[in-house]
Amino acid sequence: MRLRRTLMLWAWLLPALASAAPAREDVQFIACPAYRDTDAGRKSGCWLATSRVDGLRYDITRSPTKPDWNHAVLVEGQVAEGAADTCGGIVLDPVRVSVLPDACPRMMLPAQGAPGVRFGLPRRNVRPPHEAREIYTKGSEPKLIQVPFDYGNDFTIYQLADYYMQQATLFAQDTSPSRIEVVGYAATTPWTVAGRVLQEDPALARARAERVALWLRLTGVDPDIIEVRVGSEDKVVPMEGADGLREPSRRRVDVILHP
Amino acid sequence: MGLSSKKRRHWLQRSLILAGGLLAAGSAWVAGVPDRWWDPGEGRVFPAQLDLPNEAGSLRVILVDGPMPTRGHPFFEPLGKYGRACVTCHQPADGMSLSAASAQEQWRRNGHKDPLFAAYDGSNCPDLPQDRRESHSLLLDHGLIRIPRPWPPRAADGSVITPDFTIEVERDPTGCNLSKTWGLASKEPTISVYRRPRPVANMKYIEAMGFNFDPKQGLPLPVDPETGKPASGNLMADRRVLTLEAQMRDAAHHHLGFREKLSAGDIARIRDFESRVYVAQQSSRVGGDLDSGGAQGGPAMLRDSPAGRLGSQGIPVWSEFDAWAKADEDPGLTPEQREWRKSVARGAEIFRERTFLINDSSGINSRIGFGNPMRDRCAFCHNMSQMGMDVAPGQVDLGTTTLPYADPAPHLPLFKITCTGQPHPHYGREIYTHDPGFALTTGRCADVGKITLQTMRGLAARPPYFSNGAAKTLREVVEYYDRRYNIGFSEQEIQDLVNLMEAL
Repeated sequence: MRLRRTLMLWAWLLPALASAAPAREDVQFIACPAYRDTDAGRKSGCWLATSRVDGLRYDITRSPTKPDWNHAVLVEGQVAEGAADTCGGIVLDPVRVSVLPDACPRMMLPAQGAPGVRFGLPRRNVRPPHEAREIYTKGSEPKLIQVPFDYGNDFTIYQLADYYMQQATLFAQDTSPSRIEVVGYAATTPWTVAGRVLQEDPALARARAERVALWLRLTGVDPDIIEVRVGSEDKVVPMEGADGLREPSRRRVDVILHP
Repeated sequence: MGLSSKKRRHWLQRSLILAGGLLAAGSAWVAGVPDRWWDPGEGRVFPAQLDLPNEAGSLRVILVDGPMPTRGHPFFEPLGKYGRACVTCHQPADGMSLSAASAQEQWRRNGHKDPLFAAYDGSNCPDLPQDRRESHSLLLDHGLIRIPRPWPPRAADGSVITPDFTIEVERDPTGCNLSKTWGLASKEPTISVYRRPRPVANMKYIEAMGFNFDPKQGLPLPVDPETGKPASGNLMADRRVLTLEAQMRDAAHHHLGFREKLSAGDIARIRDFESRVYVAQQSSRVGGDLDSGGAQGGPAMLRDSPAGRLGSQGIPVWSEFDAWAKADEDPGLTPEQREWRKSVARGAEIFRERTFLINDSSGINSRIGFGNPMRDRCAFCHNMSQMGMDVAPGQVDLGTTTLPYADPAPHLPLFKITCTGQPHPHYGREIYTHDPGFALTTGRCADVGKITLQTMRGLAARPPYFSNGAAKTLREVVEYYDRRYNIGFSEQEIQDLVNLMEAL
């Protein structure tokens, strides 16, 4: 019964999501990041990484998660056609950066005339409770909200995953669902990036689902209606939070709120 | 740029002599000049408004719906066996905190018999000879109270948390951490850390939940286990309790020696009082009234503003002083006043706009994905309008308590932390710290050194600064940041920031 309803939900969602499917090619590589110390106000420094695959330096600044200069990063992105180079690299946008455990030497470049990227509040951010907001209405179909995660990590991506988690909370508060499925996925099927095989720990699927479930419980959602489980397949799916990138959609939690 | 330090001392001396002289005449309230020290149970009426001189000018304390008789009030009456009241360590003249100077004055007056110097936490360790000054040196010289924390840490329900680190005493100048009675090897294993009392004022800001989310933990705000409701997480240096009520019980037990249960009525009365007290610097000895010339300093603004708003999305932090950027246009000011006011306005702008590289600070550069390093400003963390706290729960490691960033502190204990699970994201597997901070609450190695940001109001009234009193002056605060993050402040920028903080 549950499986049938979930399949029905996907059947309902896929046509709409497919129309937004990515047309651009994904760029993927692993590299030690370099920080370029530009100053255009707060949060304006540049993050660069050079791909060993094509030898090009990319500007990965627009990732929700920024690099740590002590560690290598997995970069997944798409070239932003026509974007001005303000950091000294080909701009990737959308782009996701996942910080890997591999150690890197710290690398900081001077600005050397690069203006950097002036910070703008991302469109996906958690709003303060004193602000007026849209009230969700209960529909007849289940509502799917998908929460993305970085590779190898169950931590909440700031101004991305938190936004979707909060959406799930608000939807639950407004519509009083009868049941909430929280289904965690990890990219357990290996894939290769620049000659390195990547594969997530299967335990991450549950850890991610538990984190989302904890979020829901802490925000007052009735724990008795929350069902946590692990998804069986880690397929690439169309997903708003992946912004058209393929692989990041395999690292997610589906929150399915049943009317 | 203001008076010389010699002139400042003279000015303060004159104020204190005036106050002292009036008191010697036999009244606690003569000609509006109160005794600076509020004794437990003395029964003064707490006025609706109280102005108290300090080195930088004067502090104003507002009690909404005051005055209030304090006779019999549980904040002001001695409750436990130490003879202390809440007010002992939350003195109006010290911005509802406690300055080292006040502690010294009480020692001069009463020696170790003053309740402030209770052996349990007003001395370096209870098993030291209590009649000696050196047994109270941390309180007298650094304004520090002993905070005993259970090891391993306990959850709110009393259950034992299994930490992912071990702790050893590397150095123990107070003797308390190696004490057979009070230390880590005692019957009730305890870590003694030493911290400054936090101000009990402007509480609506401290308790405000500007967002429902703690990005540093990647979770919604912490939920108080007792009430089941979320809490701001900004109350305590190590977030060991979440609500004011729990803090009252904790403080009554540990700091007052009150072994009974605080009654619901007493808790309600203390909360009522604390929620009505607002504190801020009101006037500068150089620049004049802080709410004149278009500025909006002083506590009235705090009383009247909504709490917990993010400065970057609303009223910019310290924009209260923006009008003073044009102090040159005010013909009624002396040249000295003009310069000081312009300096404060510049300080506010530096605080908001001057960027620098923040690196290797957990709570900022990890685990949240802001990047390491990141370029930002003072107001990135000190982001709450009117208050300069963190709107999100502010557990951040600035390095003030932890090597190699902490300044030398031979008077403080030093602990060796060994992470048994994942290494700390910035310090590695072995850490040396004077105060593990938030990690003593969570048991997590990644939280070592994190201390909750606190309010920035009434600073001039309550030196020294930082949780461990490492900065004796506001200049030393700025200089610490300058060193820690290699900011490269100019002398003018340092002075502008100092003047700003003196105006808060």
